[in-house]
Amino acid sequence: MTVDALSAPSAGDPVFHAPRTLEEAFDALAEDGAVALAGGTSVGLLVGQGLLAPTALVWLGRIPGLGSVGVAEGPLSLGATATLASLASDPRVRTAAPALADAAAAVGNTRVRAVATAGGALAHADPRQDLPPALLALDARVEVAGPRGRRELRIDELVCGFMSTDLAPDELITAVRVPAPPGRRSCYLRFTPGSDDDYPTVSVAATAVVSDGTPSTVTLAVGGAGPVAYLVPEAQELSGATGARVAGLVADVAEAAARRADPVDDRLGSAAYKRRMVAVWARRALGRCLTGER
Amino acid sequence: MRLHARVNGAAFEADVPATASLLDTLRAAGLTGTKEGCRVGVCGLCTVLVDDRPVSSCLFLAGCAEGADVWTVEGMATRAPWAVEAFVEHEGMQCGICTPGQVVAVASMDRDIATEPEVRRYLSGNLCRCTGYGTIVEAALDAKRREREALGHIDAGNHDAEGRA
Repeated sequence: MTVDALSAPSAGDPVFHAPRTLEEAFDALAEDGAVALAGGTSVGLLVGQGLLAPTALVWLGRIPGLGSVGVAEGPLSLGATATLASLASDPRVRTAAPALADAAAAVGNTRVRAVATAGGALAHADPRQDLPPALLALDARVEVAGPRGRRELRIDELVCGFMSTDLAPDELITAVRVPAPPGRRSCYLRFTPGSDDDYPTVSVAATAVVSDGTPSTVTLAVGGAGPVAYLVPEAQELSGATGARVAGLVADVAEAAARRADPVDDRLGSAAYKRRMVAVWARRALGRCLTGER
Repeated sequence: MRLHARVNGAAFEADVPATASLLDTLRAAGLTGTKEGCRVGVCGLCTVLVDDRPVSSCLFLAGCAEGADVWTVEGMATRAPWAVEAFVEHEGMQCGICTPGQVVAVASMDRDIATEPEVRRYLSGNLCRCTGYGTIVEAALDAKRREREALGHIDAGNHDAEGRA
């Protein structure tokens, strides 16, 4: 079967590259206006709506090994093109980082998760995405590679503003490493008052290393409530907290999370409402992590 | 660019712009069973299978299907007859525009799914604006039952009288 009804390609059309190696990808990305894509759920959307007019599309789906998920001496290593569906269903991810598995399982719908990737979600840098707050709270590191070599960034170093990243045009995210310390609990909660398939109004991720009922390292991150997902450093005040002190400290940290929010009014809620919801959902996420309840 | 793939089991070639969606490419080839709805990956009308994965063909660039095995609703009577039969039997449709996407989505669903909450979760991204979900869910559950039965028959057929494989 052949197609002739679509407009035939012409000289001004973008070029579609399917590199087989990272080096070939870097070369293709060196062209001004070239855009990398993996699952294409973001790039396909932006191109389809006329919001992005690349001179070249560089598809990463043919680079061997870029989508593998591994466990190397503790940390989870997620290949940049590992799909969200694979993260949501991988028992190693579920065991080591439930917040990440839950965040991946919450994105969009079955069809989006089937092709959308970990690296793509980070490079797209939409503040309503589910993965950034989860990976921030889990203290993940992003491996970035380009023709000038490799470097490693924290999530809040990679994502530096509303839909913008620290990536150079010819750099690619190649992997995301998630520490997996023993005894760490984590959870990701998202507030979707409309449709479950929608972006969250706000989302929160919390982690706590708990031994003998006493938390040590505690982290909290928030998504959807500002131009980028952010950490709440006050969460560390919960370290060592036990007994009757915990509830009051959790409430204080949740209020700190709300104070740090910088939300905007949109269809997902007013800024004031989102700020209140940050406090509510932060309290719930911290409570779950500290008590171990699901 | 020249696209080479397989569609519904047959070789498929097309000259397509680099930014062409798989949806437009399929429809231009006369495979108009796949419908366009929201065009933003939300409604599920344009669901097709690419290498066994359900995708929104409106967002999926045709170039990403290079070398892939693509199945549309036109191929479901071959690929997943149990799904088509179940939708017909349970009348899993009202106006019918979401039906191609629903059938393909059910074809892609794990065959071990056997409960209504699992089905509703899996199909939550395939919208029916007639809200005829009751019979769609019934059809999906029955489709998986039929698929498991069909598989059981195949497995049984591969064993001899003593049960050896």
